Amino acid sequence: MKFIHAADLHLDSPFLGLQHLPSALLTQVRESTFHAATAVFDRAIAEQVDFVLLAGDLFDRAEQSVAAQAYLFQQFDRLNAAKIPVLISFGNHDYLADQHQTVAYPANVTVFGADVSTQTLTLASGETVAISGFSYPQRWVTSDQTPAFPDHAATDWHIGMLHGAVATGSDDHYAPFTVAELLAKRYDYWALGHIHQRQLLVEQPPMLYAGNTQGRAITEAGDRGAYLVTSVAGKLVPQFFSAAAILWAAPQLDLADVTTLTALSQQLVTWLAANPADRPTLTAMTVHLPQTLAHEDADQLASGDWLTLWQRTQQRAMRQANRYVIAVTVTVHGASVSAPQLDQQYWEQGAATTFTPANLQALFGKLAQSPALADWFTRAQTPSDLEAAAQQKLAQLMGEEDDHAS
Amino acid sequence: MRLNRLTIYGFGKFHDRTFQLTAGLNVLLGPNEAGKSTLTQFISAIFFGFPTKKHPELRYEPLDGSRFGGEIAFTLAGTDYLLSRVDGPRGGKVTLRNTTLDLTLPAATLPRLMAPVDAQLFKNVYAMNEPQLGTVFAASKQELVDRLRHVGAVGSDFWLHQARQLDRAADEVYKPQGRKPALNQLLQEHAELTAKLEKANAGYASYWDLLQRQQQRRQQQTDLQRQLAVQRQIAGQYDRQLALWPVYQQWRKLAATPESTHRGFQQRDATALERLTNQAKATRASQQADQDQLAGLQEQQQLDPLFQDYLLVSAQVDPLIVQLPDITIAERERQRLQTDQADLQRRASEIEQQYATHGQMPRAFSLVTTQQVRQLTSNLSLATQKRRRLQQQLNQLNERYRQQQPTRQQRKNPLADKQIGWLAAGLIVLVGSMFLPATLFKLAGALLGVAVGYYGVFIVDSSTPASRQQQSLEDDIRDVQAQLRETSQVIEQVTRQLDDIGDAHGLGDISVDQWAAAQTAIVTWDRLTQRLEAGTAQLATATQTVTDFKAAIQRVLPRMTVTNMGDLTTQLKDLQVTQQRLQSQESDVAAIAARLKRDQLAVDRAQQAVTTFLQTRNVRSTDAFYRQYQQVREQGNRLSQRDALAQQMGDQQLAALQRVTDRATLVQQATTATSQVTKFQRQLDTVTEALATGAGQLVHLTASGTQATLRQQLANLETRMQALTQDWLVDRLVSQWIAATLAAASGDRLPQIVKTASQFYDKLTENRYTEIELTPTTLRVRRTDGAWRLVSQLSRGTAEQLDLAVKLAFAVVMAERVAMPVVIDDGFVNFDDQRRRAAYRLLATISADVQVILLTADPVVTDELTTENLIRLTD
Repeated sequence: MKFIHAADLHLDSPFLGLQHLPSALLTQVRESTFHAATAVFDRAIAEQVDFVLLAGDLFDRAEQSVAAQAYLFQQFDRLNAAKIPVLISFGNHDYLADQHQTVAYPANVTVFGADVSTQTLTLASGETVAISGFSYPQRWVTSDQTPAFPDHAATDWHIGMLHGAVATGSDDHYAPFTVAELLAKRYDYWALGHIHQRQLLVEQPPMLYAGNTQGRAITEAGDRGAYLVTSVAGKLVPQFFSAAAILWAAPQLDLADVTTLTALSQQLVTWLAANPADRPTLTAMTVHLPQTLAHEDADQLASGDWLTLWQRTQQRAMRQANRYVIAVTVTVHGASVSAPQLDQQYWEQGAATTFTPANLQALFGKLAQSPALADWFTRAQTPSDLEAAAQQKLAQLMGEEDDHAS
Repeated sequence: MRLNRLTIYGFGKFHDRTFQLTAGLNVLLGPNEAGKSTLTQFISAIFFGFPTKKHPELRYEPLDGSRFGGEIAFTLAGTDYLLSRVDGPRGGKVTLRNTTLDLTLPAATLPRLMAPVDAQLFKNVYAMNEPQLGTVFAASKQELVDRLRHVGAVGSDFWLHQARQLDRAADEVYKPQGRKPALNQLLQEHAELTAKLEKANAGYASYWDLLQRQQQRRQQQTDLQRQLAVQRQIAGQYDRQLALWPVYQQWRKLAATPESTHRGFQQRDATALERLTNQAKATRASQQADQDQLAGLQEQQQLDPLFQDYLLVSAQVDPLIVQLPDITIAERERQRLQTDQADLQRRASEIEQQYATHGQMPRAFSLVTTQQVRQLTSNLSLATQKRRRLQQQLNQLNERYRQQQPTRQQRKNPLADKQIGWLAAGLIVLVGSMFLPATLFKLAGALLGVAVGYYGVFIVDSSTPASRQQQSLEDDIRDVQAQLRETSQVIEQVTRQLDDIGDAHGLGDISVDQWAAAQTAIVTWDRLTQRLEAGTAQLATATQTVTDFKAAIQRVLPRMTVTNMGDLTTQLKDLQVTQQRLQSQESDVAAIAARLKRDQLAVDRAQQAVTTFLQTRNVRSTDAFYRQYQQVREQGNRLSQRDALAQQMGDQQLAALQRVTDRATLVQQATTATSQVTKFQRQLDTVTEALATGAGQLVHLTASGTQATLRQQLANLETRMQALTQDWLVDRLVSQWIAATLAAASGDRLPQIVKTASQFYDKLTENRYTEIELTPTTLRVRRTDGAWRLVSQLSRGTAEQLDLAVKLAFAVVMAERVAMPVVIDDGFVNFDDQRRRAAYRLLATISADVQVILLTADPVVTDELTTENLIRLTD
């Protein structure tokens, strides 16, 4: 038996955290989710797998992407022609409810319903496989669906498909489950989806997240793809294969002798030349400097003007390295907040009154009307990010005060 | 802080002038142009620097060219300082000395020493003049708070400046109500992009619609294609039918032809007949040729006519000749049979003559009868023997008796004779009575005859005399006689029986002794007659055979003499011999003869075949056959023509055409079907076109990438927005943080200031206004009657009094941290007399806490204020 386990294709979803991209790269970015998915389907056909499991989030329903739908139709037709069944359990992004989905996928595609059901396939080898799964009926599934999964069927293999997250005990919106529960089903394989970072929860029988096929943010750095699973001596052995068309990377550079942006620029070019990528790679650099940059340099860096200029001037270097530097963040070792003329305690008192959720909310004010900003603002790490940024800013000002005072 | 002495080197109209000041209230009285404003400016300039030369009117450089600048001796936190400033770069050259410790301090110490008071604060709060008081109109909580903070903490001016910078930067990034700031623009752009995306997203619904419609149309297309194909077929059918219509008509005409019922008149039959007649003709021809040839040969050979005849019919004759031995035998047999018959006839006649007395042969005995006869004959012989023995006995006895009584024998003899006589007499009577007339006589005569006979035989006999000896003899004789009689009776009986038998078998005329011989003869006769009969039959057969043969010969060879069998045989033999001779001598003729024979055979066979052929077809002659054949062939032609037409049309077409009533209907149907085809085609074209359009739209929708591009743009925009928002928030937060920190450092004196200001205002307005309230944006005051008034609603004077109250309150409240003297330069010009006096009184009151330097042109002040230090500037 041989099959492919993929999840979280997120077709036609935009890349996040980018501000400006050259149009050529923009096209690549736009097509990357499709290219990655195509790589998976290509592999399925090349390997002549028995079936393909897609464990949810094939696309983002809210995005109403025509391209994604058209692409799926086309690819499913392709697999249909190759006589490869496709089993889909929709997740929180491509949940079932869609008034527009009036045209059914080709005959080889099975979409699990809102309740757990089991599909049994008889393979060319004569082996039988039972596959159990369900689709999200809406954006959230808050209850544990594991009890609805049947025990190992009287087939040669039994595979569970689950789009969800390990239960944390509170605020679980994504079909929470526990590893022990799944193991108790005694399946031969658990094809999980939802978590974008591929990970093996249990070695044998394999219980794993395939991860997404294409990273879409700097937080999804590293190679992405799907798993080709083959039966070896009565066990299922998953093997990762890469599918991502564009990679993300966040290298950290320690540049001890850089004090100016000019030097930094040179160092970055040197680094690019030394670290070429095999695929287009969106690279967000974090640079550690021994001391803060001069005021003007810091301003230039902070405003983004310097990066824009650098990107424009170092296009060649980036192209040669197959990397595109999307961000340069400078951190300074040992920067601390201390004002000589005002007691530390006043600053702390001030911080205590300033960095309160209520104050943040009040300050954010009308900006909350913008969903994108509201989204960003309500993120857990945003307040701490803000505070950190504020401290950095204050530190910078204190430096100036020192200059001013002396 | 307390100013102790002002020493002016040269400033404005003053030069080398010293003013000694006291800690409390100092009143500097002078008319206009006495230098009141100059003094105020002097204090500011020495402490905070000369204004730049860009603003010469504010510099107050000495008019008489003496040294620009001066010095101020002041006490701060218990320490005396002497600060001098003379013209120099960056606000003038400063010299600062700690006179308590006699230390010269660096110039940079001054701001820190002065902090938090700077030129701005001094000008805004501590240096009051009429225009300055007017600023109350712009006063707001924020300003007040800022001023508070300004004085609240050490170095706060820097931080306040930074905070303001941050706020300015933040405002450039975003203003909640703004349009220009970057984030506002981005938000606007975001809204536009979102709208665009939504518009593009409308394509999603259209996509599904299109997809669904495409599916429907594909279905429709398939349906239509199928329908069209069907309809095309139908239309084609009609067209073909139309095209075939004439053919059909022809076919229909031909369809009237009846099916041929005669069999055996097909082409092959005709051919067969042809072949047969040809064969016959050919054989006949060859026969003729052979005959001619033979005739020629015969002419040469001089064959007798009989043989010539024979040659012609040799085929028929030869079997006859072959039969000849048999026939000869039959002839001989016949002759023999004839002889036998004659012999048998003769013998039978002899026997008949011997036995058939009445022309009829006695019948042979049956087995039973033979036995019976044998029995009877043996019985008879026995009886006869017995009688003879008895006769002899009797004779002996009679002899003996005669010996004894010879008469008796005599007597007896007559008796015995008489018995016959009686019998004879009776017989005669009987016979004679037959000649008597009348039946009654005859009967009586017959009875008499019988009675006579009976008497003669039985009665006469019984009366015989006997003695004892004689008697025994007589008894014996009688006994013997009785026995003899008995035996005779038996004999008679037997004889009678035999006679009966003989009568019954016609042997009446034959003695019983001869019966055996007769029987043998009868049997012989029977056998003879049988053989005669058989012979006759055989003879008839043989004769028939011979006659037949003769007839046959006669039939085939009429010339042949057939009366005599011998001649016939001879002739036939001659023929054979001749033939054999011919065969042996002349093979040619023989061959021809043989050929002729074969020819004849062939001719016969051929003729026979032709005849059979014709007979089986129930026609008399070949001509009749050909007539019939011609007829059948014509029929066949028509049929095949019809078949050809039918084939041309095809079964289905034909069937379809047969259902058609007339051409008009067909044309109508064809037209309808064609129009239907056109209709379907049009529909199909429409659907196909729609499909193509739909496919195009789908491709456009799918490939446009608008959605994705917009989405990515939006994502990028959102990233930028988030970054900007973060920047903005950080700026604002840092600003807030600074403010909060300063507030914490300065303590929150605002309520105190407001409270104090309220009291002061109450005094200044002589209890007309009792309360001041600071709102985030402005100030408002409450009248005694409780009504609130905004600053804008106050009269100018009242507003200035409000400002004064706030500023004084600030100075008083902040005095513990900043003991900056209050310098009032003709600030009460818009006050009415009452209120001016109240103001003076207030100043006097606060001078206990704050050094007050009042510069005024109003001489009333001297009435109101009892001051330790009144300096008249005019002095």
